[in-house]
Amino acid sequence: MTANSLPESLIPTLPGEHYTGQEIFAAEQRLIFESMWFCAVRRSDLDGPGAYRTVTVGRESVLLVRGHDDAVRAFLNVCRHRGARLCAEESGEVRRAFRCPYHAWTYGLDGTLLAAPNLTRMPDVDRTTYGLAGVAVREWLGYVWVCLAREPPSFEEQVIGEVVARLGDAGAVEPYGVAELVVGRRISYDVRANWKLIVENFMECYHCATIHPELTEVLPEFAEGYAAQYFVGHGAEFGADIKGFTVDGSEGVARIPTVTAEQDRRYFAITIKPQVFVNLVPDHVIWHRMYPLAPDRTLVECDWLYLPEVVAAGTDLSRSVELFDRVNRQDFAACERCQPGMSSRLYANGGVLVPSEHHIGAFHAFVLDRLAPASRGVSPGTPGGG
Amino acid sequence: MIPVCRLVDLPRGEAFRLETVPPVAVFHTDDGELFAIDDTCTHQDAALSDGWLEGCAIECPLHASKFDLRTGLADGLPARLPVRTHQVLVEHGMVYVLLCDTPPLPRGTVAYPVKASE
Repeated sequence: MTANSLPESLIPTLPGEHYTGQEIFAAEQRLIFESMWFCAVRRSDLDGPGAYRTVTVGRESVLLVRGHDDAVRAFLNVCRHRGARLCAEESGEVRRAFRCPYHAWTYGLDGTLLAAPNLTRMPDVDRTTYGLAGVAVREWLGYVWVCLAREPPSFEEQVIGEVVARLGDAGAVEPYGVAELVVGRRISYDVRANWKLIVENFMECYHCATIHPELTEVLPEFAEGYAAQYFVGHGAEFGADIKGFTVDGSEGVARIPTVTAEQDRRYFAITIKPQVFVNLVPDHVIWHRMYPLAPDRTLVECDWLYLPEVVAAGTDLSRSVELFDRVNRQDFAACERCQPGMSSRLYANGGVLVPSEHHIGAFHAFVLDRLAPASRGVSPGTPGGG
Repeated sequence: MIPVCRLVDLPRGEAFRLETVPPVAVFHTDDGELFAIDDTCTHQDAALSDGWLEGCAIECPLHASKFDLRTGLADGLPARLPVRTHQVLVEHGMVYVLLCDTPPLPRGTVAYPVKASE
């Protein structure tokens, strides 16, 4: 593949191996998901002391728990003793401690080793050193983010910087009051596709007129193929006869009162690399988190967030949720349709991006840049290596 | 009589472990009472003083066996054998323990009492 052999309108995608190769995926786990800030759970998922969730971050299982002091902490979900997985469940609640089911090493909600058989006869075993291994935690917009890097990168640059890049300034997200909204609905999608196909899909709208009839009805400009993410600070405007961001264009629910006049009747979208997509509309926020599990498998958890009073009142959210649930299913079906083609010989050198997709090239550059330290092992653009 | 610590250094809800043989734990309950028992759970070697105090019961941190601080009896499985209880005294703000006369269980005692019918 040489870029200069392509007509000017086209730029290359990544080679097919980048969507299928186990080695490249392992490098992404290490150099992307275990090195950057990763959006793990909604804070409200941990709704009291001892409430926990486990999530897959890169190659690791991470345990997040709320302490008696209300702080959320995150640990590698591995017993310090012989390596047993401490919590097998995806979520749950412990009263006071996590006990390893193998030898009963018992850890407090702050990770300290509280007790273990014969521990008092081993006074040289330090209860902090041999406690759970903690990982960095940040809370932002009501989500708990973790970073497995020894020295986490700047949260402001990596995460908040994406919002600035897309919306023009970080303050543009504030009117939506995302931290105070509550989860009205959550849907998990087990997508049989590489995580990058999902990112690329989310970034472009060249496909919108073909696979998203409901969405292009609500946002007519999407039929032209230019996604909100093609621009900076641009929100796609609702159609003239559209009352709300719903599956049939009918009235939405109560508008978030702090949303500005410029943001009203518009849809904004942000990709927070590497695994978060955010959609902002006047009456709700749609928040996607991806958990890449294998080269060809990605779990996507999607939250629909509304004003607390809207959810508390038992408001019918079905038409509101159904619009983007349909969009998600249409998108993920498209990604799954592409996944087998990634290992076709036709795609060994990758495919092409048309001008309305050229901004995806920046995402590919990001991925290659992150993988650069591994390039001796896996050479991007050299298919057939693995 | 073994000196333990000053009463002010043992707040309510806390325990103090004495490194005697076998170790003894003194508990100060939320109601302000003081109790002393053998610190080692009779099910597996764990310090009860690392466990959780609720009323007059101490829960072992390992397998949640419960012992009544007043009697030493095991109230919840998997422990079956009791722990010994000891007398606690406070004099001039100092906590003391008077060990009971019952010999401790030999280390390695299997924690399953033989029933008369067996």
